[in-house]
Amino acid sequence: MTLADLFHQLSILIGLPAVLIAAAASATIVVARDWRFVLFAYAALSVMLALLLSQVIPTEWALLQAIVGGLIAVMFFLAARQLRWHPASGVRWQDRWPQMVSLGSFRLLAVALTAVAFFVLRDQVTLPVVDVLFRDMIFWLLLIGLLGLALHEEPLHAGLSLLVLLGGCELLLFSLVQQRLLIGLLEGGRLLLGLAIAYLMAARGLETARPAVEPSPTWNADDLRA
Amino acid sequence: MIYGPELVLGVLLATAAALYVLRRLEGIAALSAAAVVVGLAVLLWRLPLDIPVEVFGRSVWLGRAVTWEAERVTLQIGPAAVVLIVFLLIVAAISFVLARLTYQGHTFYPFGLLLLAIWTIAAMVQPLILAPFALVLAAIIAVFLIQAGKTGETRGAWRQLLFPTLAAPLFLIAGWYIEQAPLNPDDQTPLVIAGWLLIAGFVLLLQPAPLHVAVPAVAGQAPPVVAVFLWIGGQSTVLFLLQRFLVIYPWLTATIDSSAWLLWLGVFTAVLAGVLTAVQQTLGRYLGYAALYDYGVLLVAMALRGTAGLPTALWLALTRAFALLTLASAAALIRHRMESDRLSHIGGAISRLPVAVTALIVGGLALAGLPLTIQFASHWALFQLLAENDPRWVLFLILGATGVIMGTVRAGYACLGRLTGSPVEREPRLTSLLLLALVALGLVLGLYPQLLATPVAAVILPLSTLGP
Repeated sequence: MTLADLFHQLSILIGLPAVLIAAAASATIVVARDWRFVLFAYAALSVMLALLLSQVIPTEWALLQAIVGGLIAVMFFLAARQLRWHPASGVRWQDRWPQMVSLGSFRLLAVALTAVAFFVLRDQVTLPVVDVLFRDMIFWLLLIGLLGLALHEEPLHAGLSLLVLLGGCELLLFSLVQQRLLIGLLEGGRLLLGLAIAYLMAARGLETARPAVEPSPTWNADDLRA
Repeated sequence: MIYGPELVLGVLLATAAALYVLRRLEGIAALSAAAVVVGLAVLLWRLPLDIPVEVFGRSVWLGRAVTWEAERVTLQIGPAAVVLIVFLLIVAAISFVLARLTYQGHTFYPFGLLLLAIWTIAAMVQPLILAPFALVLAAIIAVFLIQAGKTGETRGAWRQLLFPTLAAPLFLIAGWYIEQAPLNPDDQTPLVIAGWLLIAGFVLLLQPAPLHVAVPAVAGQAPPVVAVFLWIGGQSTVLFLLQRFLVIYPWLTATIDSSAWLLWLGVFTAVLAGVLTAVQQTLGRYLGYAALYDYGVLLVAMALRGTAGLPTALWLALTRAFALLTLASAAALIRHRMESDRLSHIGGAISRLPVAVTALIVGGLALAGLPLTIQFASHWALFQLLAENDPRWVLFLILGATGVIMGTVRAGYACLGRLTGSPVEREPRLTSLLLLALVALGLVLGLYPQLLATPVAAVILPLSTLGP
C-alpha cells in the first residue's frame, strides 16, 4: 500500500470529521489533567492536522506533521513515565504530577466560554486563501491554544497548548505558502521545541514526583519560590 | 575558496562540538572558547569583505554569499552584520572568562558558542523574514542553559521560550502579504496587514513591559553572567533586525509610526523596571530589573533613530554591555560565596568580598547612568536628544533611574554589617583583579567617553544604511 493509498483509505475522515476530532482533541489537551489522555489527544490532533494538510500540500509533506507530532508524543511519554505517580513514591495521590493551578470544572467552563466566543466571532474572521472549514479550524486552534497558555503553568499542558497554537498557524501558513524549505524548517523547529518542552517537563516534574528521594540540588529554590 | 558564512559558522559549530566533549575541563573550555571567538572577531574586523584574501594558506572571501538557489535562501556577511557579529563575539569572549571565574556552569561554553552561531545566522540570512525563526532556535537552546540541570522552577526558561515562538509565525505570514503586494500595486491593504503583523511580531520579540516577564524570571533562575549574555545577545540581535526591517522595507515606517510606539514602550519599560528595581529582595531580580530599565532606555534611543538616535543607541549598547557584565559578575560571585542571593542573607559580604561588592555598586550605578560611570555620557546624550522632542519623557526616564539608584543603594547596604552565618571564603585573587579592572575601565570610560567615539563612528555608516 502506498502513502497515497493510505490517505485515500482515510479520505472519509478528511473534512468535517477531521476538524471535529481535532477540535475535541485540542479541547481535551486544555481540560484533562491525566497525562495519558493529554498525550493521546495530541497524537490524534497531529494525525487530523496531517489529513487536513494533505488537501493543501503534497501528501508526503503533510505526513511530516503526523510523524513530528508522533515523535513529540513519544518524547513526552518518555518524560512523563519518569514522573508518573507510584504508591511507593511517598507522594499523595492528590499531589501527583502534573499539578494544576485550576480546577477541572473551571477549565471546562473556560473551554465552553471559548466555544461560545468562537461561534459568535467566527464569521467576522477573514483569512486569505483558506476555505470556511479551514478558517474555523485555524481560529479554534488559535483560541484554544491561547486559552491553554493562559490557564496552565505546568510545562506539559502549557507546552502542548503552544504546540496546538502553532498547529493552527501552520495550517494557515502552509495554505498560503507551499515551500519545501519552510515546511522542513517549521517541522524541524517543532521537534526541537518538543525536546525543550519535554526537558522542562522532567525538570519541573521531578521535584513533585519524588521529593523524598531526589530533593532539588539548587541552593536557591526556596528563594525563587519566595 | 572558503566563504564568510562557512568560515564563521564552521569555526563556531566545530568549537562548540569539541568543547561539549571537553566541557568538564572548565578552565580549558573557557579559555579555548574565549580564544576562538577573539580570533574570529579579529579576522572579521580586519579582513576585507569585497575581495578574497589568503588566511593560513587558504583563500577566504568574507563577503561572498552562500546561496541555496532552489530555496532562494542566502547567507551573507554584509558590513552591518560584521558590526553585530564582532560585538557579540567580544561580549562572548568576556562572558566566557567571567563565567569561568564566577562558577557559572560548564555547559555555558559549548551552548554559548552554539547561540553565537544562531545569532550570526539571524544577522546574515535572506530573505529577512526567516531571521526570527533563528531567534526561536536560540530560545530553544537557551532553555538548556537557563535550566542547567536544575529541577523545580522552570518559569524563566519557559517564558523566554514563549514569546519568540509566538512571534515567528507572524513574520512568516507577513512575508506572504509582502509577496502579494506587487501583484496589485494600487491596493495597499497587503502592506498594511504585513506592517501590523511585523509590528506585533517585533513587540513579542522585543519583550518590552508588560511583556517583560521573562527577564526577572530568567534573572532569578539562571546564573547571572549567563543571563546577561543571553540578554545582550538576544536583545542586540532583535534591535539589529528591527533596524534592518525598517531600512529594507521603508513602507513599514510609512504604514505605522514605529518611532511613536518604540518611544512609548521604551519609556514605560524604563519607568516600570526602575520602580520595581527599588523594591527587589534578591540580587538576581535586582539585576534583572536594573537591566530592564537600561533596555527601556535603549528602546527610547532606537525610537529616535531618525535624528541622532542611532549613534546614541549604538553607544548605549556598547556601554550597557560593559555595565551589565560588571554587575552580573559581582552578583554571581556574591551569590556563590554567600550561598544565597536574598538581600537579607548577604550581610557581611563587604568584609570577605570587598571588590565584588564595589563592582556590584559601580555596575548598578552605571546602569542608572550616574556621573563618573561608563553609562553617564550615553544617557546624558540621549536625555538631551529626547528633551528636544518633549522634556517630559526625560523626567520619566529620570524617575526610572532613581529607582535603579535606590535598588543599588539597598543592595550595597545589604552587603554591609557583620557576617552572621557560616564562614565565607575570600574572593579569589584573579577574580578580584578582573573585577577591579572592569571597575577601573568603567571609570576611565566614564571620565573620557570620547575614547568610544572612534569605534562608534566607524560602524555607524553601515548600520544606518543596512543593505541586503
